[in-house]
Amino acid sequence: MSKEFRMRATVNQKLTEMGERERLKELLRVKLTECGWKDQMKAHCKEVIKEKGLEHVTVEDLVVEITPKGRALVPDSVKKELLQRIRAFLAQHAT
Amino acid sequence: MKMEDMPLSGPDNTKLEALVHDIYSELVEDACLGLCFEVHRAVKQGYFFLDETDQESMKEFEIVDQPGVDIFGQVYNQWKNKECECPNCKRLIAASRFAPHLEKCLGMGRNSSRIANRRLASNNNMSKSESDQEDNDDLNDNDWSYGAEKKAKKRKSDKNQNSPRRSKSLKHKNGELGSSITSEPYKYNYNTGISYETLGPDEVRSLLTTQCGVISEHTKKMCTRSQRCPQHTDEQRRAVRVFLLGPSAPSLPDADAVVESDSFDIPDGQTLMSRLQWEDSPDISPTDSASSKASTNHSDSRKPKKKKRTSLGLNSVGVVGVGGGSLTGGSSSSAQSNISLSTKKKRPKLSAPSISSIYDDLN
Repeated sequence: MSKEFRMRATVNQKLTEMGERERLKELLRVKLTECGWKDQMKAHCKEVIKEKGLEHVTVEDLVVEITPKGRALVPDSVKKELLQRIRAFLAQHAT
Repeated sequence: MKMEDMPLSGPDNTKLEALVHDIYSELVEDACLGLCFEVHRAVKQGYFFLDETDQESMKEFEIVDQPGVDIFGQVYNQWKNKECECPNCKRLIAASRFAPHLEKCLGMGRNSSRIANRRLASNNNMSKSESDQEDNDDLNDNDWSYGAEKKAKKRKSDKNQNSPRRSKSLKHKNGELGSSITSEPYKYNYNTGISYETLGPDEVRSLLTTQCGVISEHTKKMCTRSQRCPQHTDEQRRAVRVFLLGPSAPSLPDADAVVESDSFDIPDGQTLMSRLQWEDSPDISPTDSASSKASTNHSDSRKPKKKKRTSLGLNSVGVVGVGGGSLTGGSSSSAQSNISLSTKKKRPKLSAPSISSIYDDLN
């Protein structure tokens, strides 16, 4: 489905070019810190590190442990708001 | 390139939604990755566990989650139930109210004397005007309205400065105060006025340093006017102080008192001057009636003469303004003779040449 592929590519390009991607990233970061998600994740990290040992922890270890939990722990309100904004962007600047 | 028609048909819509979700997932993964990098760097640089190094202090300052206690473990109402016995009035006072109570009870501290004086002044203005009306008709007419304004203003300022309780007691003066006073004997009883019997020595002393304090024969109350109040002589004030505080009583401003008895006469001369210059007459009557009380009988004979001549002086000034220089000599001489009649001669003589200089200027 190259049409779809091209469409996606265009959308992504537009997102980046217009700075919307950065804005969305920043918005998400702020919202996650506000709602306590970041502290939760940090606490989880501490457990992982204590498990693996302070000296031998690698980025890969952390990513593998953290990402699935992180994805699950995002609160619904934050998720909904972000989806809304993306949809709005697409509707406005559709390729 | 535009995809302006957003088809709501099934596959496209789902594709769009899928796209939206994909973008969202990308963003979330980006956030997670950022967090991982941050944590990993902190671990490797050694500052990740920095806030957990001291187990002992961590246990000490742990957040407390018990009922009846705040998160630091402190009890809120700890001192509420404790009572202390006041050494002065021998009453049991709540601990949090003890310090202010002592301040009022002993009559020390800034606020207590301020409140006391204010209450005395406002109360005695009321009672004084009621009791001594035959003496002070003129004065009271002026003071009554002014005093009412003062009282109103003072009450408003009382609300802000003192605790709400005090302003309440000031508001409901006559009726409800009786009940509140029985519980607080050191406060002033509005119904009976400021009687020196109920005051402690500290309060009496503080009162006497700022107020006249002469005890009226009719009502047995202390005068709350200033130290220079025209209704009482300094002899009376001294007598009261001796009576109340003992023969070692200090702090009558004697030097001022001597000057004061003169000042009742001299300002008349000086006000004559000002009147000649600016034609201001209404100040005469209160000072004259006041001076008639303070000074001895011979001033009464002087009074009418002065009044007549001042009117003459005024007329002459008016004429001078209109007519010419012919009357100036006459008016200045009459003014001079006026002033020479007053008892103290130093100042009037000095003022005489100034009159002539004024009229010289006019000429």
